[in-house]
Amino acid sequence: MYKIILSIRYLVKRRIAYFAVLAVALCVFIVVVVMTVMTGLVSDFKQKNHRFVGDCVVGTESLVGFAYYEDFVKKLEQEDIIEGVSAVIKSYALVSPFGTERNLGIEIMGIEPVRHSRATGFGQTLYHHKDDVSRAFEQTYDPNQAGCVIGIELVLSRDSEGRYGYDSDPTGLGLAISCFPLTAKGALAKVGAGLVNTKTFYYSDNSHSGLARVDGSMIYLPFEEAQILCGMDGPVKRANVIHIKFKPKVKLETGYERVASLWRSFREEKADHRHADLLEKVTVQSWGNYRRSSIAAMEKEQTMMTVMFALVGLTTVFIVFVVTYMIISHKSKDIGILKSIGVSNANVMLLFLSFAFLVGFLGSAIGTVGGWRFLVHINGIEKWLYEKFEYQPLWDREIFAIGDIPNTIDLKVLGVIILSAIGACLAGALLPCRQAAKQKPVETLQVSQL
Amino acid sequence: MLKFFLWLRYLRKKKIVFLSIAAVALVVSLLIVVASLFTAFISVFEQSAVKAMGDVVLEPPMRFAKYPLLIERLEQIGAVEAATGVVSAQGLLHLGKGNVRAVSVRGIEPGRQAKVTGFQESLIKQSKSLGGASFEVPGFPERVGGFVSIGVMTKPDEKTDEYDFAAVEKMIGRQVVLTTGTVSKEQFRRKVIQFGIADVVFTGVYELDKSFVYLPIEELQKKLYPDEDGQMANQVQIKLANGVGTDATLAQIRGVWSDFADKQLKWSPYLINQTTIMTAKELQSRYVTELRKQMRILLFIFGVVDCSVVLLIICIFYMIVRLKQRDIAIIKSCGATSGSVCYIFVAFGFCVGIAGSFLGALFGYVVTRNINTIEECIRIVFGLKLWKSSVYMFSKIPNEVNWAWALVIVLIAIGAAVVGTLIPAIIAARTKPVEILRYE
Repeated sequence: MYKIILSIRYLVKRRIAYFAVLAVALCVFIVVVVMTVMTGLVSDFKQKNHRFVGDCVVGTESLVGFAYYEDFVKKLEQEDIIEGVSAVIKSYALVSPFGTERNLGIEIMGIEPVRHSRATGFGQTLYHHKDDVSRAFEQTYDPNQAGCVIGIELVLSRDSEGRYGYDSDPTGLGLAISCFPLTAKGALAKVGAGLVNTKTFYYSDNSHSGLARVDGSMIYLPFEEAQILCGMDGPVKRANVIHIKFKPKVKLETGYERVASLWRSFREEKADHRHADLLEKVTVQSWGNYRRSSIAAMEKEQTMMTVMFALVGLTTVFIVFVVTYMIISHKSKDIGILKSIGVSNANVMLLFLSFAFLVGFLGSAIGTVGGWRFLVHINGIEKWLYEKFEYQPLWDREIFAIGDIPNTIDLKVLGVIILSAIGACLAGALLPCRQAAKQKPVETLQVSQL
Repeated sequence: MLKFFLWLRYLRKKKIVFLSIAAVALVVSLLIVVASLFTAFISVFEQSAVKAMGDVVLEPPMRFAKYPLLIERLEQIGAVEAATGVVSAQGLLHLGKGNVRAVSVRGIEPGRQAKVTGFQESLIKQSKSLGGASFEVPGFPERVGGFVSIGVMTKPDEKTDEYDFAAVEKMIGRQVVLTTGTVSKEQFRRKVIQFGIADVVFTGVYELDKSFVYLPIEELQKKLYPDEDGQMANQVQIKLANGVGTDATLAQIRGVWSDFADKQLKWSPYLINQTTIMTAKELQSRYVTELRKQMRILLFIFGVVDCSVVLLIICIFYMIVRLKQRDIAIIKSCGATSGSVCYIFVAFGFCVGIAGSFLGALFGYVVTRNINTIEECIRIVFGLKLWKSSVYMFSKIPNEVNWAWALVIVLIAIGAAVVGTLIPAIIAARTKPVEILRYE
């Protein structure tokens, strides 16, 4: 009990301790704010990638694709862990919008919209056919032609608040889309006959996945049309990727293991079939691994920021060290009296460590409350700055596809920050505490020292 | 002399002062590294635009004929050192079995392009060729040749982020197929061009290395616009003479263009005014503004956290003042004024600021200059590749120290150290010798 009373007394009576509390609060405040924003951005980005990909992907990077995908899709659909499966054609295409002289080299994805929406979050990214995904490729401009869903960044622009200027109905934008059809061996399929396949599509909807690179470089086409354009519609049909979604209660790891084992047995089954060599290049990946290259960059930035904060946080350790050292040097008489009435070295150490703990705890509490209040108002402050001074301190929404500043505190992150702050205080107090414990009452209490 | 003696004594006897010097050094070095890396990145980003497009870009809303005549007129302006026409398009490149890439196609004159942008330095094989860059395919002089950016042919290694140059060089001479096209009367007219890879382009800028294919301008315009008379271009890239004023030169270029478009092309004033004539740096200015904004935010965040250094200095000096009360009382009893006692500690803080800033600047300089080595060490030791050209554009981390920012940071750090000593110095000045030195 005396440890608590004395440590609180030192904290309240010694004004120098306020500086230590202030330093901890300042560091915790900034780290809470920055880490909340960064964690929000990273987890939002991960969620968008997860929605875009589904839970698991079976596929190949080769544009040739792989055969017998239909058989594997059927096999997957018989599994009770599977919620949705969608085979996809992926390739590059040359796109020429009518009425302009521009050509664009972009990515195309051939999908069956209903299936794809079951396996991924595709349906939710549409604007005009969100409620009836089956009509995603229906366009009213030319009934003889197919429709296409265009990545939102390719058709609409954002205003200063990051809002898109949506049209009430898709305009009659026509696109001539050309692809290289490839044989199962990877050679050009139409040597001597123009080398490329071209077909006209009309804009039927736009897709806003929230992933800038996807929304700025992707056009979705009906699966069969894309298969023909890419030359994958031969006697043995091919696709590039199969997106899979597991039922809600299935753990990602369990689902992934099951799909991987299914794929291994499927590959063995088809080993003596025609074009079985294409199956060897196919990999089974979880959504996180599939999008690793995009996600890793953001995670690394978060790590770097953490390391930099840890470096700067060293000064807090120094402050606690100095303050504890000072208090101990001024309280040598207290220590002498405590030890002379039988308090052990460990308990003297604990007394001053409790003081450091209190500094860390109080500083963390103040920093957390300050950070939380600031985060609650962060979007309001940004809006006010923009309205008053036309200044967006973080991101120009016309350039960056980021909406509101993330401001939901992640309790895990907060816990780590508070524990780190308290840990830093304890680390800073350790040496002075050891010195305090070593003090001898006979020396500190002799008359010449009083 | 007394002050100097006391500073030395405190420094020798109170080792804790070194802690404040270390803290100042840590913070100064961190801020210098952050500011330098950001400004170097911005500068290289701006330079990459000049490297790709020259100093000034002239881009009309549609393609135009007789571009050699325009270039001739532009080069008559004293401020223009060289100019070159460019035809651009998009296409699909078939590099081999199952290997198709979306590419940006540029029709260029290699000799002129090299004068405007230093293009030749980016060619793997021909960078040191005295005869200048050429589209001649090694071993197949009769073939149409083209240059292909390294990122179109291969990806950088996942772990090291380096390209396999040996494998890429082996592809020189290979025949590839490019599909591009033009739109005419709402009809897309497909064009297929077969060419041999004459050389590979490696600029070190990911965006430029990722998707460009360069072909002879005559060959491309012949394929794209077979029915057009005269030599066509979509864009003119211009290199300015050293030391010329940009604004005045842009006005001159605009004058030449207006005259040319009016008299030679018979364009309407509307079309003429729709032409973009800007410096390459201006074209990047929105992104540069955003980068600068991010740098300021980062510096602000670290600046706020670094306020704890001021608190640390307050604590350390307060401790010294409390422990040296008797010294202070003796000095005052010898006749020193409160002002001069105050001055001892403030000036001591100033010295701490200078020492910490100097060490911090030195450390910041060493870290910034060796940032690529440090990054490589982290990769080897922890297997963590922090810098990737696909994310941060450049294959190497720009590592120029920004001395202007360094000076600002050093001055602020010294100021902060002085501010940190103010409260303890005032407490010291208010010390009453009669209370401290009395016998009981």
